[in-house]
Amino acid sequence: MSKPSDLIQGTLDLLILKTIALQPMHGWAIAKRIQQVSKEALQVTQGALYPALHRLEQQGWVRGAWRESESGREAKFYSLTKAGRVQLDKELEQWQRLSSAVVLVINATQEA
Amino acid sequence: MKTGRWWDVLQMRFRSLAKRQRVETELDKELRHHIELQTEENIAAGMDAREAREAASRMFGGVSQIEEECRDMRQTQYLDNFVQDLRYAVRILGKNLTFTAVIVLTLALSIGANSAIFSVIDGVLLNPLPYPQAERIARVFYRSASYPKFPLNPWDFLDFRARNRSFESFAVYTHADMQLSGADGDPVKLSAFRISSGYFQVLGLHPANGREFDFLEERPGSGNVVILSDRVWRNQFGATADILGKKVLLESQPFTVVGVMPPGVDHPGNSYNSVAYGDTVDAWTPFTFDGNSNNRGSHYVEGIGRLKPGVTVEQAAADFNGLMTEMATHHEGDKGWTIYMVPLFQEIVGPVHKMLLVLLGAVGLVLLIACVNAANLLLARAAARQREIAMRAALGAGRGRLVRQMLAESLLISVLGGGLGAMLAIVGVRALVALLPAGFPRLDAIHVNVTVFGFTAAIALVTGLIFGLVPAVQASRTDLQQGLRDGGRDSSGSGRQTRLRAVLVVGEVGLACLLLVCAGVLLRSFVNLLKSDPGFRPEHVLTAEIALPDATYKDKTAVADFYTRMLTNLSALPGTRSVGAGTDLPWTGYDDNMGGFTIEGKTPPPNEEFHARYHTASPDYFRAVGIPLVRGRFFDERDRKDSQRTMIINDVMARRYWPGEDVIGKRITFDDKPKESDWFVVVGVVGDVKDKPESAGAEPAFWWPLMQQPFAFRSMTIALRANTHPTLLAEGVRNVVRELDPSLAVAHVKLMDKIANENFSTPRFALFLVGLFAGLAFVLAAIGIYGVTSYSVSQRMHEFGMRVALGASSGNLLWMVIRQGVLLAGMGVVIGIGCALVFGGVLDSLLYGVSSRDPLTLMGVGTVAVVTATLASLPSARRATGADPMTSLRAE
Repeated sequence: MSKPSDLIQGTLDLLILKTIALQPMHGWAIAKRIQQVSKEALQVTQGALYPALHRLEQQGWVRGAWRESESGREAKFYSLTKAGRVQLDKELEQWQRLSSAVVLVINATQEA
Repeated sequence: MKTGRWWDVLQMRFRSLAKRQRVETELDKELRHHIELQTEENIAAGMDAREAREAASRMFGGVSQIEEECRDMRQTQYLDNFVQDLRYAVRILGKNLTFTAVIVLTLALSIGANSAIFSVIDGVLLNPLPYPQAERIARVFYRSASYPKFPLNPWDFLDFRARNRSFESFAVYTHADMQLSGADGDPVKLSAFRISSGYFQVLGLHPANGREFDFLEERPGSGNVVILSDRVWRNQFGATADILGKKVLLESQPFTVVGVMPPGVDHPGNSYNSVAYGDTVDAWTPFTFDGNSNNRGSHYVEGIGRLKPGVTVEQAAADFNGLMTEMATHHEGDKGWTIYMVPLFQEIVGPVHKMLLVLLGAVGLVLLIACVNAANLLLARAAARQREIAMRAALGAGRGRLVRQMLAESLLISVLGGGLGAMLAIVGVRALVALLPAGFPRLDAIHVNVTVFGFTAAIALVTGLIFGLVPAVQASRTDLQQGLRDGGRDSSGSGRQTRLRAVLVVGEVGLACLLLVCAGVLLRSFVNLLKSDPGFRPEHVLTAEIALPDATYKDKTAVADFYTRMLTNLSALPGTRSVGAGTDLPWTGYDDNMGGFTIEGKTPPPNEEFHARYHTASPDYFRAVGIPLVRGRFFDERDRKDSQRTMIINDVMARRYWPGEDVIGKRITFDDKPKESDWFVVVGVVGDVKDKPESAGAEPAFWWPLMQQPFAFRSMTIALRANTHPTLLAEGVRNVVRELDPSLAVAHVKLMDKIANENFSTPRFALFLVGLFAGLAFVLAAIGIYGVTSYSVSQRMHEFGMRVALGASSGNLLWMVIRQGVLLAGMGVVIGIGCALVFGGVLDSLLYGVSSRDPLTLMGVGTVAVVTATLASLPSARRATGADPMTSLRAE
């Protein structure tokens, strides 16, 4: 299980925003989805997930709403706000810049 | 779009605060939902229900921790937690009332003292002077090799005013009190100044009614005009609306009132025959320029100017110096002088600046010590609370949260201390102002105001943070397991804390020693001052001032005759031992110097001239004031107007200008080409009196006999030595003067020992306050030592019991504990005295006859510290002797 500190700072926010960009989801589903899409490589612990969700909500990037889930229970579904979408684009761009920079460095080191 | 987001954020915050219950329920529900889904997944994977549930919970981790973290994300938890922490703090502090009271009171005392001193500093040093753009006002003096600050010559002033490029307006003024008669009641002496036109323009003040003087009124004989203060207009003229144009009788001459100033006009202070800065002047008359404009030798007007915007004092001084050099090529009298220019603010507060900063430093040290003391006590308590803190950490309180909780307690303490301190400051400032030395500038600017309260609040909060943070961080490091296991006894954390507390106590003692050294040298300096021989005997002497108007007392003969008759009548008053009159009294400030006289048979050293302070005295003046005769004789009936001219000089003058010679019979003249009758013969030498008690030495001085004064000294001081209590004679003096001339005012009736005493008020003030602060500091340091030894004894009771079992006597135990206290104090003494040796130099200019490194004082302080440490550790030591060997053995 990867601890939140193993994820690069801010990456968890990006993963959450990206995941709920498709459709509103509740916490458990978000964790599952990240796990599945990453082919079990990324496991988000609850201890990191919920504080992150609440922080994003407090910052106005996501909005939580209670409604009935597929299993018939009341669950809190998180969706992106308009501001959240802008934020997601910004974070994506940043991530791409960062990862391509890292790749550059790694390749350069290999060549040397 | 941006605003939309902030709106969301605001709503969220509001919801978290206002609908807390609902938010909490939802949080709980959300997390439970997660666990349920996880459980279902586990069941689907083949676990049984119970196992699935436990696995889900395990995977989830501590629910309460996650909840707490989610709450943290709301950002409102600070407020929430703060209120919670505060409530808890009130409960905790309420439970330990003695502890709380000790910290709060010591803090309140030091915060109060700091605020009181700060309010003086705020009023005197930080507050701008009550003139518009006061920073542009500067005082102008002359300077020469022997006179660092000298008044200007009036004709020089006219040249400066016409030609300088630095001042927007430039004026001179000179002190000349006037007697007002014919108004309501008895004649009164008004504190008055002669001013050039433009004087009020320099100050940026305007008459409330009427006008300022113009250039034409500076010409001699242009008619007598006067501007009155609001106070005189109200008290003497009943605030009549039609005062302008009225004639009032000043110095027995009619003066036309052309203006009345508004209330609260502050006199900018003056150096010669000085009148204190403040609302102290009652009347202003024009300064008139008469006589020979080539006479540049006499200096008696004081310069003040308003700089043009952007011009600095240095630039203006350079401008004036250029003019001065040029003027010196035309006028012999202008040679040898340069310009000394100083901002008015500095001129006024300069003399007290140093002392106030020393006091601020001293009181700041007290606050620091109180801080350290509070930190120390809190640390002690944190040690006792280790178990509680460990428990809270185990129950999910994060480290930050623990620190905040502890900080809430210390802030609560400091707020209580600050509130109480503010109240103390209000009382303290009143006491302080009453204590301030005579002549202290800007007294009426000292108030406890918003700035002072702001300062109080700021230092209260900062101290709260400082003394709270150390123990809070320390406590939050508590090792959880150990803390829970043995409840704080003998844990490794307590070893670290004990060390930290020892360091704090050493620091406390060090600072207290530093303060005590300051107080000690100030005390020695004060004792030196009191012990030094003043050179006169101020006891049982009544003094009063009289000024004769020149309209009725036209020449020096008339003046001398009046004073002679008055003295004859006064000596007939029952209870009078001796009575005299002179131009001034010892220790009242003396600035007039006569330079350039000729001593028969002597030439002055190159580039210098003979100079001495000059006075006039009646025959019995020296007997009345108590200045002893060294050789020769006092003045007597032989020194008549038409007899051989004589003078009395002081011992310094005799020794300086006639070293090793018998000075009686030696001659001095003030004329360049003296006739035989222009020579003054020295008939007596009197003892030296210094300008002020703290002056390094006396200056050369001489006296003319009253009957032979070379020009009319109209203002004289009467000194009357009484057999009985001198105040009983005050009415007699008034009657004698009234019988001779009912238009004269008898001013400033005072006891001479009171005048002498005022000269000690500054050192007394500094000593009193620094002594008070040092005392407070020592009490705090003693509390610190007591705290540390007491805590360490309670930790070591078990060990002491074992020692008793192994044969230690109670004397051994007593010594062990006291040694600890004395050792801490000893290290503090070394640090404190080290600091005193390094930083004590700042005090030296306030000291008389003792250095800040006075070995006796340093030794005394060391002794006091060690004795205090012994006394402070005694209670704990006695407790140690009560250690019970049986208890210790049973515990093993």
